[in-house]
Amino acid sequence: MTAMEFAQFPILSAILFSTLLALLVILFIPDDRPKLVKQVSLGFAAVGLALSLYVYFAYDPHKGGLQFVERVLWVKSLGIYYFLAADGINVPMILLTAVVLFTGVLTMWELDKRVKEYFALTYLLVAGVYGVFMSMDLFFIFVWYDVSLFPMYPLIAIWGSTRKEYGAMKLTLYLLAGSALILPGILYLWAVAGGTTFDLFELQRLGFDVQVQRIAFVMLYLGFGILAGVWPFHTWSPVGHVAAPTAVSMIHAGVLMKLGAYGILRVGMTLCPEGLVYWADLMALLATIGIVYGAFVGLAQTDLKYVIGYSSVSHMGIVGLGLSTLTVDGINGAVFQMFSHGIMTALFFSAVGYIYDKTHTKMIPELGGLSKTMPKASAFFILAAFCGIGVPCMSSFWAELLVFISAVKTYPLRGILAVSGLVVSALFMLRVVQKTFYGEKNPKWEHIPDVPLFLASPRIILVGILIFYGLFPRLILDIIQSAVVPFVNSL
Amino acid sequence: MMKWTLFTPELYYVAVASVFFLCSLEKKADPRRLYRWAVILAGVGLAVTVACARMEGFLFFDSYKVDLFSQVFKIFLALGMFFVTMVCSELYGIEPRKHAEFYFLLSICTLAMMMLVSAVELLTIYIALELSSYSLYLLVPMRHRADEYVETGIKYFMVGATASALMIFGMSYLFGITHTTYVADIIRKLPEVLNQPAAVVGLLLALGGFFFKQALFPFHIWAPDVYQGAANQVTTYIATASKMAAAAMVIRFVGMSTGQSEVFIQVLVALSILSMTFGNLVAIVQKDIKRLLAYSSIAHAGYMLIGILCMTQRGYSSAVYYALAYLVMNFACFMVIIKVAPDGHNLQIKELAGLHKRSPLLAMTLMLALFGLAGIPPTLGFTGKFLVFAAALEKGYLMLVIIGMINATISLYYYLIVIKAAYLLEPVREYGPVRVDPWTRVMSAALVIAMVYVGIFPDRFVALAEAAVSVLP
Repeated sequence: MTAMEFAQFPILSAILFSTLLALLVILFIPDDRPKLVKQVSLGFAAVGLALSLYVYFAYDPHKGGLQFVERVLWVKSLGIYYFLAADGINVPMILLTAVVLFTGVLTMWELDKRVKEYFALTYLLVAGVYGVFMSMDLFFIFVWYDVSLFPMYPLIAIWGSTRKEYGAMKLTLYLLAGSALILPGILYLWAVAGGTTFDLFELQRLGFDVQVQRIAFVMLYLGFGILAGVWPFHTWSPVGHVAAPTAVSMIHAGVLMKLGAYGILRVGMTLCPEGLVYWADLMALLATIGIVYGAFVGLAQTDLKYVIGYSSVSHMGIVGLGLSTLTVDGINGAVFQMFSHGIMTALFFSAVGYIYDKTHTKMIPELGGLSKTMPKASAFFILAAFCGIGVPCMSSFWAELLVFISAVKTYPLRGILAVSGLVVSALFMLRVVQKTFYGEKNPKWEHIPDVPLFLASPRIILVGILIFYGLFPRLILDIIQSAVVPFVNSL
Repeated sequence: MMKWTLFTPELYYVAVASVFFLCSLEKKADPRRLYRWAVILAGVGLAVTVACARMEGFLFFDSYKVDLFSQVFKIFLALGMFFVTMVCSELYGIEPRKHAEFYFLLSICTLAMMMLVSAVELLTIYIALELSSYSLYLLVPMRHRADEYVETGIKYFMVGATASALMIFGMSYLFGITHTTYVADIIRKLPEVLNQPAAVVGLLLALGGFFFKQALFPFHIWAPDVYQGAANQVTTYIATASKMAAAAMVIRFVGMSTGQSEVFIQVLVALSILSMTFGNLVAIVQKDIKRLLAYSSIAHAGYMLIGILCMTQRGYSSAVYYALAYLVMNFACFMVIIKVAPDGHNLQIKELAGLHKRSPLLAMTLMLALFGLAGIPPTLGFTGKFLVFAAALEKGYLMLVIIGMINATISLYYYLIVIKAAYLLEPVREYGPVRVDPWTRVMSAALVIAMVYVGIFPDRFVALAEAAVSVLP
């Protein structure tokens, strides 16, 4: 096989359909073989990871633009295309998804309740996520978006904890309400453009009136924004995170919330740049409120998962702020933040998951002094907390730095407010770390063994990635920039 | 003589009805044998109807038009009839000695609705509609222990008769204004006179009869009681086949206005919004699953009307696609209900508890069907909603689409409650095992595959729907 032929291989479809194949294979494994289900899941996750890594390394940032393009006409009369492609924005997202899936499967290695259904639904969810990240056709973006949402309901309601049915229903209805705005937004743009194509780039070429862009953008922004945890539509997110089982929280906070931000960027900002200019002020305002509000509410929480949930609201606010600046640095930082926040929250939830599995509590006052009984398990959480605060040498540092520099330039007051929100979030993270892992040792937890190497492996991978990109941010920023620079120039 | 071949599907169902009429004269007809014959005859009927799909022509002094539009709907009807007879293996809701009559009325009703979708003259339409209505008036109170559900039959009849009266009154207006009872002539003459209130009122009243069949607000009041009160199989028929004919006729009648009257469109928009919102909000509190589906059918009539009121080719074709999707999804729900309640009682939502253990296949069928009804991809229900909303936005009805989508979100709540019962709840008491015969397995698997396949590859079906509506005047 020559290199040329390999380039023609539909690698994005391969990633996407490997997850659907995994789903089918898992469904046909007998119920009484949970071990086999886990092995098959891990195998497919590894394949997905390998293929995503290939995409990541094979993507040529100097050439930029769309690569690995696959485009087939799907429904003729409406102009729907099966159109997959990779560019600088979605390459990191595809990698993120693969990493979180792989580590998520490892994290759930000890699951023993309805194992087959759990992994089948996880793969359905991930198929939806991959689909959204790869598709360049509005119809398919929406379809995959919905596919990724509805497995959340059973995943939380069956395997969750802490008011799981309430959390699951709230999350599902909120997110579906979001798609109730996205679908009209998409169809509106399609209809205004003549009703002949759903191809994102053809629509971009056709262009829209300023008025149309303003209406469509606000629908898309609010619709996708609900999933991105934009204040004041974030309330589903902490509740959902808390109720969900560990790996679902990882996928959910790590990847699914990114779909929202990605949707705003990919659909809203690409098709409605004028609308973005018009609404950027509001976006920046909501994002800043989200950053500050998330930090303050996080300060008052006593449940570890709620703490992470609110810190996610705060961190996703940073993504929103970065997008709203409309500068190369801001959007670069936002996309980078999407990536590093995804890895970081996955690490957070994975670390809490282990603690919860062993102690059966995630209430901060009941824990305490854990670093003495299980130093390794604690270390992962503490590292994640450092990353959340934005300590240098961690990937979030660069992302947040880029966003805040451009935010202070574009919106001085809001930028400074947002930075101060970060200080509060540092306060609450350190408070949590201190109360949970240092201080008085709770004798109840003394017998608990520290995390063994195999179970720690997902967290080791995640920490490794955070530090790697903290030390070599250019390796990912070059790719992101190859898409962002032409995008900002076209505004 | 050649012309009569156009009438083949209808003649076939006349023959089927006669067979069952003769069976009903027999004193002790074996229900198992009747069931087998019914399935075979309905299956052959479907094949005959499909074979006649490409026929075109006029019959009976041009009052009867056979074209792709009518033939597609006849296929839907034959499919509905076939579906319903398939789930009659445990027809315990109806006394065994009445089974032959049940099949007889079912065939007559299908025949009447086939005539309805082909009729292009007001009186023919009215007669066909009444023939189908009267069969249903008889089928509904046929339930075992009918005295408990006597209210149902009377209510259905009263509301139906009122709707018919309104309809014939509206038709008299149309005749008075245009001096003709032929739909084609009315379409030609109506645009000149559509500024007269009488024309709009006449058209709306004439639509009332079909809105009644569709259970569109405000003609919906019979739906919950009839769904609950009729035997499960009869409800299935009302919820699937009968809606198809109504959808076809609403398309035909709305098409008469040719989009000329602003008032007319606004009334339809209002009815659609009311129907969706009312149906979805009331469905939330239901405990009986058939009542829940009744309210959901009111909502779905509203969604379908969105496509129709666009009065464009795209709008009509989206409604046709939606009708097909609705037929399949709704039937899948009812099939599960019938199998979980084999003795024919009214199934409560809580009785579905633990269905995923009692019968994983039925639970999956139910889940996909409900997700389809809620409009979640990748099911054909999603594609249906997508097409309808796309058509509406082409006409610029942005608010209507947003309201429709909000309604879809509301509806997801109560569909999720049912799915939750099937997948999450533990049964409070021991429910008998669900007996799933191989035949039902095949049906379930076929429905699941169909729901997903048509959802993911809609191209051919969309093209068929577009071809069907392209022959409309």
